[in-house]
Amino acid sequence: MSAPAKKKIEEQPKLHGILGEFRNPKALYDVAALTVKSGYNKFDTYSPFPIHGIDKAMNLKKSKLGWIVIGHGLVGFCGALTMMYFMAVMDYPMNISGKPFFNAPAWVPITFELTVLLSAFGAVFGMFFLNGLPKLNNPLFNVDRFKKATDDGFFICIEAEDSLFETEKVKELLKEAGATHIEEVYD
Amino acid sequence: MSHKPTITDSLEFPQNSMIPRAAFGLGFAGLIASFIGYFLQPDQFFFSYIVSFTFFAGISLSALITVMLHHITKASWGTVFKRFFEVFSSNIWVWAIFFIPVLLGMHNLYHWTHPELFDKASAEFDKILYGKSAYLNQTFFIVRQVIYFAIWGWLGHKLYKASVEMDKTSDWGMTTLMRKISAPGIPLFALSVAFAGFDWLMSLDPHWFSTMFGVYFFAINFQAFWPVMILLVFFLQRQGILKDTIKQVHIYDLGAWFFAFTVFYAYIAFSQFLLIYYANLPEETLWFYNRLEGGFEYIAYGLLIFRFALPFLLLINREAKRSRFMLGLVSVIVLVMHFLEIYWISMPANHAGDAHGLHFSWIDIATFLGLGGMFFGLFFNKFKKESMIPQNDPKMDECLSKSYHH
Repeated sequence: MSAPAKKKIEEQPKLHGILGEFRNPKALYDVAALTVKSGYNKFDTYSPFPIHGIDKAMNLKKSKLGWIVIGHGLVGFCGALTMMYFMAVMDYPMNISGKPFFNAPAWVPITFELTVLLSAFGAVFGMFFLNGLPKLNNPLFNVDRFKKATDDGFFICIEAEDSLFETEKVKELLKEAGATHIEEVYD
Repeated sequence: MSHKPTITDSLEFPQNSMIPRAAFGLGFAGLIASFIGYFLQPDQFFFSYIVSFTFFAGISLSALITVMLHHITKASWGTVFKRFFEVFSSNIWVWAIFFIPVLLGMHNLYHWTHPELFDKASAEFDKILYGKSAYLNQTFFIVRQVIYFAIWGWLGHKLYKASVEMDKTSDWGMTTLMRKISAPGIPLFALSVAFAGFDWLMSLDPHWFSTMFGVYFFAINFQAFWPVMILLVFFLQRQGILKDTIKQVHIYDLGAWFFAFTVFYAYIAFSQFLLIYYANLPEETLWFYNRLEGGFEYIAYGLLIFRFALPFLLLINREAKRSRFMLGLVSVIVLVMHFLEIYWISMPANHAGDAHGLHFSWIDIATFLGLGGMFFGLFFNKFKKESMIPQNDPKMDECLSKSYHH
């Protein structure tokens, strides 16, 4: 317990980003659009409830999840057919009431099930992957005010990773946009 | 918070429109041609007639269940389409009149109507059909039809009347009434449609039976209902009707239903086939055997590709369900396949003369245009009488201000 704590004191705290708080969803919506217009793309917004159209204001691209799901689904589809072909035609062919070894109608349920199963895996774990989950801690939790994001706070955080990121410029942007509170977030 | 959405379209169907008259004209021409067909080839006429009859009855029936589901779930997704559904379903009772030719042609259509099959002294005596005679006899058949059409006609008429009244009086108590009608209406509908499926199509091959046929009958009709709605809305909007009221989001919902019930259809139709194929019992497989030979196999494989695989792949993408071109294209394909599927179910039972094997007749087209013309003539004739959307429906504002969640 003590060793990591000690290390933390020695290390220079790393800047994660600048957090700005806004009064209401409309202000957050506007600042998201303004941030996009200023050329930043590594930022996120936080609110107690979903805000209609904020994804458009943030210029979020369509999720890649669909492609992950269809990839998994195709693997399930082909995998099921390959598996059954190997078992029922090549490895251990059995005569079942005179039906052909390559028995397409009878294979449909298993092909269907495996396609659906792997698609569901793709959807759930792909979502985890795209969201960077599981994530045990987020630097934003170091900010006390951020707790308001589950109650009545509307936040935007422009991250230091952004290529255009300059502390003073970002602060000025948020201030001009009408932020009620601006804070540096350290990791 | 949200302001009341305004409607800029005229809600009255243009009274001088030629559409109802054109449809009736086509209908009469088609029915006259069919009538001539009756004298030339009576067997062919009756089989063609039951195919087209089922095609259009299925649209009305699917509309009826959609109205009832809409009420029972207090839905708002389809409030702009509700009057369409209501008009379709309130016309079902007229379809009882169009069932009379089927009753007149029972002897041509239904093998089980032949009395010698039940005569133990006769060489034609059929033990299996004799065992089914408690259900498959002419009197009970007619009684059942009366019951079906009474249920459907009453439900359709009541729901339409109540909704129209709400237009005029803004009495939102009507929604409770409509919910009270719909709740018992749904199980009644489910049973009556299943048995109608047994009677109209399954008993064409009276030795055969499938316990899934009722839901299969519902599944084919319900899938085909959505493309009808999609094409009808496109057609009206092209005439400038309800152009701004029915928005892209509403049409997207029709596409979503269409996609969902394409999968449902495939699931049901394939399950019926798989169980029979795998059990491989002669009394059950014969039905499919007759439908996988003599040219009918092309329709069977066509159904797999054009009624499920292709629509599934074309509509799976969200953008596709927003594209009018794609929705229209898939709708046309599926409607053609729907007709062919009813054809494929019915026609192999027509063993009279040299009718064995697949060959289309001009009477198929004549009855289809005849009944189709009458069907849409009746639809537009009723549709033009009242507002085209239930304007005082409590869910109207919610429906009109709907937007994509993504």
